[in-house]
Amino acid sequence: MFHWLEKNPFFFSVGVFLVIAFAGLIEILPNFAEASRPVVGLKPYSVLELAGKNIYMKDQCIACHSQLIRPFKAETDRYGQYSLSGEYAYDRPFLWGSKRTGPDLHRVGNYRTTDWHENHMWEPTSVVPGSIMPAYKHMFTNVADIATAYAEAVTVKNIFKTPYGDEIQPGVEAFEAHKPAILAEAQKIAAGMKNQDVKDAVKAGNVPEIVALIAYLNRLK
Amino acid sequence: MNALMIKALAFSAVLIGATLAVVKSMNIDLSDPINMITMIGAIAIAVLTFGVSAKYINQMKTDTAQGELAEENWDGIGEYKNELPGGWAYSFLGTMIWAIWYWTIGYPVNSFSQIGQWNEEVKAYNIKFEKTNKNADKATLTEMGESIFLVQCAPCHGSTGDGLSGKAHDFTSRMSKAQVLDVIEKGSDQLGYAMGAMPPMMATGQDAEAIAAYVAGGMKGEQPASFGVCAGCHGADGKGMGGTAPNIASFDEDLIVHVVKSGKKGALGVMPAFHDRMTPVQTKALATYIKTLGQGE
Repeated sequence: MFHWLEKNPFFFSVGVFLVIAFAGLIEILPNFAEASRPVVGLKPYSVLELAGKNIYMKDQCIACHSQLIRPFKAETDRYGQYSLSGEYAYDRPFLWGSKRTGPDLHRVGNYRTTDWHENHMWEPTSVVPGSIMPAYKHMFTNVADIATAYAEAVTVKNIFKTPYGDEIQPGVEAFEAHKPAILAEAQKIAAGMKNQDVKDAVKAGNVPEIVALIAYLNRLK
Repeated sequence: MNALMIKALAFSAVLIGATLAVVKSMNIDLSDPINMITMIGAIAIAVLTFGVSAKYINQMKTDTAQGELAEENWDGIGEYKNELPGGWAYSFLGTMIWAIWYWTIGYPVNSFSQIGQWNEEVKAYNIKFEKTNKNADKATLTEMGESIFLVQCAPCHGSTGDGLSGKAHDFTSRMSKAQVLDVIEKGSDQLGYAMGAMPPMMATGQDAEAIAAYVAGGMKGEQPASFGVCAGCHGADGKGMGGTAPNIASFDEDLIVHVVKSGKKGALGVMPAFHDRMTPVQTKALATYIKTLGQGE
């Protein structure tokens, strides 16, 4: 048999692949199965939070901020409880990051508030002297893409069985029907803010990016 | 001994000499076992490299081919049938036995866990922390409190504790007039004091103004008559009657403990609870530090 393999390099390669793949699979598969299970009490992202998550990705917060607290005492002292894989079950994609130019944000909702984020995104050095984070003033005027976030919720509900309720359905009518709930959530965030333009925009039915982003950051706990 | 062997020995000697020269010129401390082992390793590599190469070069020069040829033949190049060397066979068997042990007992029973390591690290640290800081003096607590303040509090309250021009509570004075008026208007039921909820609108108009000016002014000068309604719970001196109600005259440990535990929503905004991020000793240290910021007892 081995002489035959030696004379047939193609099937020899196939054999090598199978042997290595087997070892890989028995190591990887159990972890995959475990990681895909959400921790108890984990709720899917609301549409507003999803819109905020998209802004987080669009403006590349991940380039400087991680979302993964490792089980080291120095980290849990500063950022809170270490992260569990099941907490990322509804993150598509997850935003672990690998660079900490700024602090970790996985539990930022536990120790920062709406008005702090508002001050900080407008002018970071006004609350953190010496901060090298750039200001994100455009988020106060840009309008968040709620429709795309809603479509994303519909997609993950249908494809990955993310447990959204009946209010998330395909179609424009369903989106329009769900919109008041999204705006109500945005109003709650805007109520904690001081910028009058943002408040007016939300009242008029447009959600500025900053509101969606703060909804997402407050959700990170 | 042939010429090749002599050359190899000479090369080894040169390398060993170079190693020793480096050790000497860099003043490396050989009483440190790591340095000693590294030096012995370097010498062993020199000796083995030249010893083994001399042996094989010698063999290539003098050996003649012998043994039984295998059947296969690739373009005229044949292959001897070689017995599997005993050392290889035994180590292969050994690894198989080890693999069975590792798969069934070694890994499942003794597996390393990051979380387990974290648990041990935190437990050991907490025991040590409790022991060293059980009766910490004021200087230690102030120093500890300052570092906690800079990490946990400074992002909102500012590194000097001045509240960043009204973005958060200013620790250099107990309360501003606007804050007092806000509490009087809305009442408060969020800090979990034994006295319970403070009802809204206990004073209005001129009375509320007078109280606010008095409290914001550091409770100095003549006490307005309307302060009587506050004194019922907060005490005539405003110090909270020994911890049953919040101290409105100054910051005390009780007040800091309650706010850290429950968080707070006030005239300036919302503060989250921080109790799961600090031990009782650390909260005490934080209170000690905040008292030094201007409005201590």
